[in-house]
Amino acid sequence: MADERDPKVSQRYRELGSEEPSRELDQAILSAAHRAADKPHAPLVTPAGRHRWYFSLGAAAVIVLAVAVTYHMQQEAPDPDSVAIPAAPEEQRVDAAEDAPKPSTKPAPTFAPDPKPRAREPARELARKPAAPAAGPAPEARMQRDAAPAESRVERQGQIPPQQEPITPAPAGRADSSEVKGLMSDSMRYEPPERWLERIVQLRKEGKHEEADKLLAEFRRRYPDYRLSEAMLGKVERR
Amino acid sequence: MAEAPDEQLMLAYRGGDGGAFETLYARHRARLFRFVLRSIVSRASAEELYQEIWMRVIEARATYKPTARFTTWLYTIAHNRMVDHWRRARLPTVPLETDDIPAGNPGPQQHMEAREALSRFAVALESLPAPQREAFLLHEEGGLTVAEIAAATGSGEEAAKSRLRYALAKLKAAVDDG
Repeated sequence: MADERDPKVSQRYRELGSEEPSRELDQAILSAAHRAADKPHAPLVTPAGRHRWYFSLGAAAVIVLAVAVTYHMQQEAPDPDSVAIPAAPEEQRVDAAEDAPKPSTKPAPTFAPDPKPRAREPARELARKPAAPAAGPAPEARMQRDAAPAESRVERQGQIPPQQEPITPAPAGRADSSEVKGLMSDSMRYEPPERWLERIVQLRKEGKHEEADKLLAEFRRRYPDYRLSEAMLGKVERR
Repeated sequence: MAEAPDEQLMLAYRGGDGGAFETLYARHRARLFRFVLRSIVSRASAEELYQEIWMRVIEARATYKPTARFTTWLYTIAHNRMVDHWRRARLPTVPLETDDIPAGNPGPQQHMEAREALSRFAVALESLPAPQREAFLLHEEGGLTVAEIAAATGSGEEAAKSRLRYALAKLKAAVDDG
């Protein structure tokens, strides 16, 4: 394209003058250039500015979430005293009950009813009703029903109840015999078999063998699959 | 450093060498200023625009890559600033199809009788459509080739060549008439 440059045109153009920027303008531009040169280049990706607080906020959120989940899990976890069945054999537990001056202070294990008073009230009402085999749900059925959530809770937690044999309570609809009813307190209907055995042993010690026999019969009716050890048999059966 | 090519100076400035910028500025200040002044005509506007161009050069130093001549890059910035200026001033831009001077536009010949030869040339230059004047000034002041003019103005080479030829023809006519 340099060939197309007309010398006459170029010469006339040069004759127009050689205007230049003012000295002030030069100084302003050069000062700006030096100021910019003194500044270090900002990194392409800066963790500065508004992005910086994202990290702290994220960490705080994770910590709060972890604490909340832990607290929630603790709240959700069942009370080990009311869920876990003690691993000790029956004999030891009965012996312990004998030694203990107040066995009732010991918290009831697995099959304990809901400790909430409101939950217990309907069961009491049902127990006060006259014995009617076909009418309404039996307390055993309620006990079975109440026991189910506790068992499922145990399964959820991955705990295996240390019960040696599965205890099969009496089928629903079976009523307590009228003789035994007087021997049983309301709360005892929902007691685990070990508490029944403790009660029978206690009656034997007190010399109330007839009551003990009736209670034992009722116990065997309720828990036909419960296997009694030799030592326990010696304690609960009349000799 | 004074002998270093423009691209090397710009890279040195990018690395924080303020002296390199001074050398670069000294090389291009007068030509760039005249390019702007003769494109804008108003000296006040030209000075403002001229400063804007250099500020843009300073700002863009971090992303500068010597893929082309520094002069092409510099005058590309100048072109873009001037387009912005024309848009702000709502001055009409002339498309390529109407690059030629419209029939109703007073040509340089109408001013010739009352002015000196130089004045006639200045008027001829001022009367050129902006794209043609820009192509001529880029060629004359910036020393850009047709391809570089095309690159700086964002047009095709044929358009740039056509603009330059039209501008030279009209200016040559103004010179010959004088």
